[in-house]
Amino acid sequence: MKPAISVRGLERKFGKFVAVRDVSFEVRAGEIFGYLGANGAGKSTTIRMLCGLLAATAGEAEVAGVDVLRHPADARRAIGYMSQRFSLYLDLTVHENLAFFGGAYGLFGAAFRARRDEVASELGLGALGAEITGSLPGGLRQRLALACAILHMPRVVFLDEPTAGVDPEARRTFWRIIRRLARGGSTIFVTTHYMDEAEYCDRVGLMVDGRLAALDTPTGLKRTFAPGRMFEVRGARAKEVAAALPSATVEPFGAALHVRPNDAQVGADELARVLDARGVAQSGVTETDVTLEDVFLRVVGGAGAS
Amino acid sequence: MSGSLRRTKAIAHKEVLHMIRDARVLYLALGLPVIMLLLFGYGISMDVDHIPIAVVDQDHTEASRRLVEKLVAGENFVVVARRDSADETTPLLRRGTVTAVVVIPAHYQRDLARHDPTSAQLLVDGSDSIVASIALGDAVGSLETLTPAAPEPPPLIARFNPAMRSAYNFVPGVIAVILAMVSSLLTGLTVAREWERGSMEQLFATPVRRSEIILGKLIPYAVLGMLQTLLIVTLGSWLFDVPIRGSLALLFGASALFLCAMLGIGLAVSVITKSQLVSVQVALLVTMLPTTLLSGFMFPIANMPWILRVLSSLLPGRYYMTALRGVFLKGNGVDVLAPQLVALAVFSALVLGLGIAKFKRRLS
Repeated sequence: MKPAISVRGLERKFGKFVAVRDVSFEVRAGEIFGYLGANGAGKSTTIRMLCGLLAATAGEAEVAGVDVLRHPADARRAIGYMSQRFSLYLDLTVHENLAFFGGAYGLFGAAFRARRDEVASELGLGALGAEITGSLPGGLRQRLALACAILHMPRVVFLDEPTAGVDPEARRTFWRIIRRLARGGSTIFVTTHYMDEAEYCDRVGLMVDGRLAALDTPTGLKRTFAPGRMFEVRGARAKEVAAALPSATVEPFGAALHVRPNDAQVGADELARVLDARGVAQSGVTETDVTLEDVFLRVVGGAGAS
Repeated sequence: MSGSLRRTKAIAHKEVLHMIRDARVLYLALGLPVIMLLLFGYGISMDVDHIPIAVVDQDHTEASRRLVEKLVAGENFVVVARRDSADETTPLLRRGTVTAVVVIPAHYQRDLARHDPTSAQLLVDGSDSIVASIALGDAVGSLETLTPAAPEPPPLIARFNPAMRSAYNFVPGVIAVILAMVSSLLTGLTVAREWERGSMEQLFATPVRRSEIILGKLIPYAVLGMLQTLLIVTLGSWLFDVPIRGSLALLFGASALFLCAMLGIGLAVSVITKSQLVSVQVALLVTMLPTTLLSGFMFPIANMPWILRVLSSLLPGRYYMTALRGVFLKGNGVDVLAPQLVALAVFSALVLGLGIAKFKRRLS
């Protein structure tokens, strides 16, 4: 089966600044593809090129079988796009926003109304048709924006930081909807800087300074970039721990440190003893799961060093 | 219905909803024309009358009294003060208690009877030049017939406006100014708003074409503009008795062309600036201001320095003013107004073309 998205050597310059450099990847149909990176790493620039909103400086991109860089208009019907900034009309009601985007995609009449009601109930907006969009809380607005983007049943859905500024409960609901969409056969390309969200993705691409620094399943990324066991060390200073354990990886993680010894056989008690023996003060060591954040810190650190 | 028509309709429908939800739009579109009409009609009328004057009568004869009577007979002047010398009236002029002073010298009646050279003097407050010149004109008109020796002045008749009513001037003028302001302002805002809120990016991701966005946005405002024209024409001719001597179809046809030009300017400005604040300021600067000052509505074009005359000839407002006056007052038809209509059409085509050309589908 042809990939839903296929990108080769994609590049975009703004003057001298290279926002996206030599990015290549493929996304299978029905896959949830996460695009992870810091602000300004080139996530939105990539998504805009893939939606035909921004011309590329170099490279090729095919979305839903259409060369989107050369024939952006032909790809639009197959693409749903939810931009980073909330961009629905706040002075319109939920139904009016849906009707507008339905009209923009050429939907009308009974078929449109049936589809509108289907999407609205799927996204939990069924009872809100007459509400003015501006009066809705953030989570519902995001869901409405998603509803507007998938009304026309696009094969590929691009979501640019869809959950930015939304509370955790609403984020969880939103991701439930995204997974359901993917099960229904849609391909989802989603950017985020929430690491926990990236865990929901089938595969994750890590953007660092415009480059695709890593690309794998969340498990694969962890295996490659953070193999072995991970320990959380509380009440210690990163510099001292790093000096005491020269072969381990030490990263600040929240208020504590994430320490990954080179030797996978080492346990928490042993690690605590070693730190004590080498005169490093700490208030507790426990084993913890490797997260994508560990991977991200590792990859960003590595890319920065090279 | 084709896809293109349906998409245009979706945009137009959305624009109408924005309009209805936004009280400012309705105020600008329907309240402002009425307010301007009433202001021009009742507030800042150019018909100056009941000018307060002071009289310095040093003659105290029948002839001097007759002169004053003659002056106030037309209700253009009202005597509010009497003084014995011209010097004593200076404070009155300074404070603005009176706008003019009539000084009748001693021996006025005697000299008049002897046919000796004599004359009453009219001192006018020149700091308000409009009132001053009107006062002068009125006074000369009232006093001309006093001197029996003077030959009968030739009768003056203002064709198309025999009573010289200013409503005949401001009703067409207000139409032009309102259409210029509101249409360019509102279209400017509506396009720039989509850029500022980021919804333009969302629009570009749909199959909607540029021309559909532009048409869908212009049509509701064009309809609104025609409603405004109807409102001002109806209200203006009803409240202020302004006749419509030419064809209504021509009046609305010319208005539609002018509207296209103004909507086009608003569109071009907002497409280029992409900011609501900037586009409001630029739109007002290039539409309302020149339509008010350089179209011939407020100030005669013939009296302008050549550079302003050239500028004025590039303005659609000028051609529209000529067309409006022609239809309203002179009953002119297409035969006379063809050059104005062509100028308006050319201008509309140019600015709309510029707006569309500058409206880039891609982000940068």
